[in-house]
This record gives sequence, structure tokens and C-alpha cells, in this order.
Amino acid sequence: MIVALDRHALAVGLSKGMTLATARALCPALDVAESDRLADRQLIEQVASWMERYTPCVGLIAADGETPEGVALDITGAAHLLGGEESLLADCLTRLRAQGFDASAAIAGTSECAAAFARFKDEAIIIPAGTEPQAAASLPIAALGLSSSDVIALARLGLKTIDDLASRPRAPLAARFGRDLLARLDRVRGVVETPITPRRFIPAFITERRFAEPIGHEDDIHRTILTLAADLARMLEKQGQGGRRFELAFFRADGAMRRLGIETARPLRDPKGVMRLFRDRLDTLADPLDPGFGFDVIRLSVPVAEILDAHEPDFDGRTDLAEDLAALIEKLGVRLHPSRVMRIHAEDTHLPERAMRRLPAQDGNAALAAEWDLWSDADLPPLRPIRLIDPPEPVDVIAEVPDGPPIRFRWRRVFHVVVKAEGPERLAPEWWRMTGQALPPTRDYYRVENEQGARFWLFRAGLYERETNDPRWFIQGLFG
Amino acid sequence: MPIASSDLQSLRQSISKIGRDGSARPMDPVSKKMPTGHPALDHTLGGGLARDALHEVVPQSPSDLAAATGFALGLIGRLAQGRDWVWIGEEMTRHEGGQAYGPGLKNFGLDPARLLLVAPRMAEDGLKAAEDALRCAALGAVLLEPWGHPKQLDLVALRRLSLAAEENTVPLIILRHGGQSLAGSLRTRWRVAAAPSQGRESVGNPRFALTLLLNRQAGAQGAGGSWTTEWSHGERLFRPADSVDHLSASADRQAETPDAA
Repeated sequence: MIVALDRHALAVGLSKGMTLATARALCPALDVAESDRLADRQLIEQVASWMERYTPCVGLIAADGETPEGVALDITGAAHLLGGEESLLADCLTRLRAQGFDASAAIAGTSECAAAFARFKDEAIIIPAGTEPQAAASLPIAALGLSSSDVIALARLGLKTIDDLASRPRAPLAARFGRDLLARLDRVRGVVETPITPRRFIPAFITERRFAEPIGHEDDIHRTILTLAADLARMLEKQGQGGRRFELAFFRADGAMRRLGIETARPLRDPKGVMRLFRDRLDTLADPLDPGFGFDVIRLSVPVAEILDAHEPDFDGRTDLAEDLAALIEKLGVRLHPSRVMRIHAEDTHLPERAMRRLPAQDGNAALAAEWDLWSDADLPPLRPIRLIDPPEPVDVIAEVPDGPPIRFRWRRVFHVVVKAEGPERLAPEWWRMTGQALPPTRDYYRVENEQGARFWLFRAGLYERETNDPRWFIQGLFG
Repeated sequence: MPIASSDLQSLRQSISKIGRDGSARPMDPVSKKMPTGHPALDHTLGGGLARDALHEVVPQSPSDLAAATGFALGLIGRLAQGRDWVWIGEEMTRHEGGQAYGPGLKNFGLDPARLLLVAPRMAEDGLKAAEDALRCAALGAVLLEPWGHPKQLDLVALRRLSLAAEENTVPLIILRHGGQSLAGSLRTRWRVAAAPSQGRESVGNPRFALTLLLNRQAGAQGAGGSWTTEWSHGERLFRPADSVDHLSASADRQAETPDAA
């Protein structure tokens, strides 16, 4: 079955929904390609990303559940940047055609009206504001996107254009074809507005630079980022905000587009600081930024902002140590990934593997020193290991009596003779945390020292005779 | 053997240098050396461990990794003095040797809230992170724990790290899991083995058998040496193991005397 066809195929009288055999009969020289909906979707997404060069508000045009067939742009306030609507439209079509697309486009007051014109009129059209209903009059009924049976039924009634339909009394139409028809009619005529659903969240702070001559040199790119960051700093300062996330979008003249994001540990607007983070990010990219023949639009935006006090100390001139540390956390987060730069937090549990959590340092969870007080006792030797083996590893243990301390054990093929053992410290499973699960066995922990003086943390899982007759042993930590 | 009174004297002095709460006394800014608390050790080091340099800590055998970690953490506890510090442990080290454990660090006399834990996937990332950290003057110390013997830790890399350490007076302890000794700008290199803790029956405070293999400290007295030292987490300092034995032995005797009388 034919799902899509080009201009030439349309000209010889083929149409969507035709079987391939019929189409071949009509036109034996037909070029056929297997439909690949996923690839179609990816391509249109790519085009949509690239379209963000005109405006950040880009949505996809798609019938319910169908593969998108077009891209809608909200160019409110964006057209003047390109010298008006005509030149924007022309620029857009020229570029798309240069990339090998057979594109058509229209500008209208509402997205569905524009989409209808783009699909059913060949030339690029700009509908003057307010004249959408009159302009839409000449569009065919098919522009409503109705089911084929409805289109045929309307055709039988002699209704072929939007005007035919719009000039009829509404009530009988609704009775015959349902309210949906009227809703579609209103949308295509531009009477009712359907907002574009942007593919991506639109940042509150955006700034960009356009280049008549695309730039590709590293220094030029860095300088541009710095000027953009300075623009953004003024915008953020006016609102008393600082960015927690910054995003750079690089648009290449040939249709490729690349995004780069950084996250900060605290609200930031100092241009040099922003610049520095991006430079680190650029330096550590696994696949470096490829300017090709150059970028012609570079945009910097702040998708996430937070309140920032009026004056932020200068990135270079400050002496505040806390700030220094935050900058380090930020830098390492950008380079490695925020989840690889951590603070550790105490948890209120006596289950050893849960008594500590590792959380990203950047989330601003300043660790609370007080939480750890449970574990400070200057008079006792350390009761907990400095290195936790997680998950615990099984060890072969020989004990004199099944419920006694180990006298020898083997871990990772090495035999250890226990000289000293302290314990047991009995840690019962936290039954109140377990609902509907089998209760894990009680653990008896021992701190042991071998002949050489190495110290280990072992436990026996299961109380002998009460919980098990063959308790297993594990190693869970190493003491200094 | 009775302990020399001069040793006791310097022990007292170094104890008095620690804050009453055992922490958070800002270091004398001009002092680029941190006394360990162990008099003979500090004497050999020419006053203490240099803060503006690189120090390598190597376990004597794979089973001594925890001991080497303990010694390195003790040094960090001394060096950081209540400031934040960074532990950069390559991901593999966690799987092989276990991960930094908060309750254990607290037991060891270190404040887990002060630790910034960095887990790079590769040696190269770890090196860069270490250099970044050394350039952050807010830090008390940096612990770098590479896996195996990364080829990236070459002369040039060590030179860069040592320059960064020197500029910002932030010390870097490189905790090894084995492999060949590093060649390059190290101020000291230590071989650490576990040593039996005090007491016949019970597991006591951590003890380490130290060998100073390389000593390029300014004003150093001697090229190296071997000592057995105990980490006192309450006071946050190293003590000579024999002095602890001796002190407690005399304390025992004193305790016995009234009974005998």
C-alpha cells in the first residue's frame, strides 16, 4: 500500500492508500521504497531540531498516533530577526531545499491553518493576519484531514472546498458528520487557535547570535559563547536570577545541530564562570564539536534558573573558600558526570550496607555532621571498617563451635589465621522495613585480626540451630 | 626500655598543637609541614610531612591494602584539620578493595561530612580530577587511589600534580593498590603493612608497620627508616606503638600497686 508519494507520482494520478499492484498498473516505471516509519520519524525530528534556529518553539504536526508529517514553528516575535516573515519563509525553504527536501511552507495566524496551506498549496504563502477564513475558502475539503469515507460523502453532496462547507448552516452538518467536522473546519479557517506543543521545554532566558558568514574556528566559538553569556548575565540580573542549567545549541548551515548542556552546583550568572564550564565541557567531549562548514546560529539558554542575590562575587577575584569548593564540585561534575562527585550521608539504620548513602554533591545536600555522631567514640577502637565490601563476599570459615568466633578463614584464595576476634555484635534484620518478604537471617558480626595484624569484619548469617544448621559466613569490611 | 623523656616532651608538644576538641584548629599559614605526632618519624621528616607535595603510600602485600588506606587516612586526618578533603577512587578500586565507609571514617576520627568522594571511571579522569582538586585551595588534602599502575601517571603527570600541590599548598596522597613504585616528583614514599594491635585478646586501635622508602623532605634527617605506629583516632595523631605499650604497662602496674598494698 502506498503511504507517501512525491510530486511526480501525484501528477500521474497515484494517491495514498492505493495498493502497489494498482499503482504499478498505472505507472510501470514507478520507483518504490519500503516505508520505514522509525526512520521517517527520526528524520522529521532532526529537521525539527534544526528548525529551532528560527525559534525555540517548534512542534510536530501529526494526525493522532501517526508519523509526524510536518513541523510547526511559532515565529511570534522571531520573524524580525531575519528581516520579516517573507525572508524567514524564503530562507527556511531555500535551506531545506538545499538539503534535498521537497518542502512547502506557509505562514498563518494559527498552526493548523498554516499546515493546511503548506500541504495543499504549492507556493509559499503568507496569509495576512485576520484574513485566514477568506483565504482558506479555496482549500479542498481534504485539508480538514477527515476520514476518506467522510470526504467521499461530502463530495457526493457537492461539497468540495472549505468555502462550500463554511457557507452551509452548521447544525445540519454537525448532525450528519459530527461536531468534530466543525471543530476541524474552525481550526483550518484559523477561527480557533490550536497552540503548538513544543517538542522541548522553552527556556525562560534565551540569547543567540546569527552569522552571515558561518563561524568554525575555536576562538570565534569561544568568543561567541562569552558574549552570549554576558547577554544572558544581564537578562538574569534584571530578574534577580542565576542559571542552574545552561544549554548551548550549535546550528550548522547544512542542517546539523548539536546541543551541549552544563549543570551548576549553585545559581550562576557570571559570564566567565559559564564560559569556563562550557570550555571544560568542550574540551572533554568524546566526539568533539564538528563545525563542518561552520555554525551560522549559536544559541545560549537557561532552562533552569533560581533566585540569586543581587551581587555575585566575581569568579576570579573572590577569596571565599566555600565558593571555591562549589566551583570544584561543579567542574568535576561537568567533566565526569554529577553522579560521580558525591557526598556521603548517614542513614538511620543499623544495617551496615544501608547506614550510608552516596548522593551527588551538586544537589546541594550539604552533609550534616551531626548525623554521624552515633559513630564517634574516642575510647573504643573503631567498630566499623573504613572500607566496606558491598555486597558482602562469602568466605570459608572454620570455627571451633558453630556459634563461636572464626579461627581460620579463606577469602579470595588467601588463608587467614585468626589471632584475635571480638564479637559477636548481633544485628537483627529490620523486620519493620520488610513487608511481605521473607525475613533475612540475623547476623553475628566479628572484628578479627590475623597473624600479620590485618583486621577484617566478618559476619555469620543465621543463628545456629534457631535459624539454620549450616550458617554461612561473609566478609563485609576491612579495618585500617 | 623506658621511653626517653625528650620523646615524651615532643609528644606533648605535638598534642598541644591540636585543638582542644581535637579538630578544626587552623594551621599556621606559614607552616608547610604537618607533624604526624610520632616523634622519631617527625624527626626523620625534618619536622613533619610536607603539605605542598606528593606522597605515595604502597601496601606491602595485597592483604595490606586496608592498612595502607588506614595510614593514608590518618595522614589526611592530620592534614585536613577540619577542612574538606577529596577522595578520588577509580571505580575498580571500589570493587576490589571496598568503598569508603562513612561510619568507619567517623570511627577513625574523620568527619564523613567533610569528604567529597569522586569516582572516575578511568585513570585519566582521576588524574584530571586530582589536578583540579589540588588547584582548589579550600581543600585540606587530596587522596588519589588509582587502579593498578596507570601509564598516565608518568613523570609529566606527576610533575603537573606536584606543581599544583606546591602552588596551593594542598597535599596529594597517592594510595596504590600495588604495582611498581611511581617515578617522579614524589616527596616521600611509604610502604605500609598491617601490624598486630595492642592487647592479647581484643582487637585494639589500628597499627601500622611503616617503612619510609623515599625521603626528599626539606631538612630531612636520614634517608628513611622503619617504625611501628598506632593511630589514635580520639586525638587524631600517630603514636609510636612501643610508647603506647609502655604507657599502658606502667598504668597497669600502678593499678596493681594498691591491691598489693
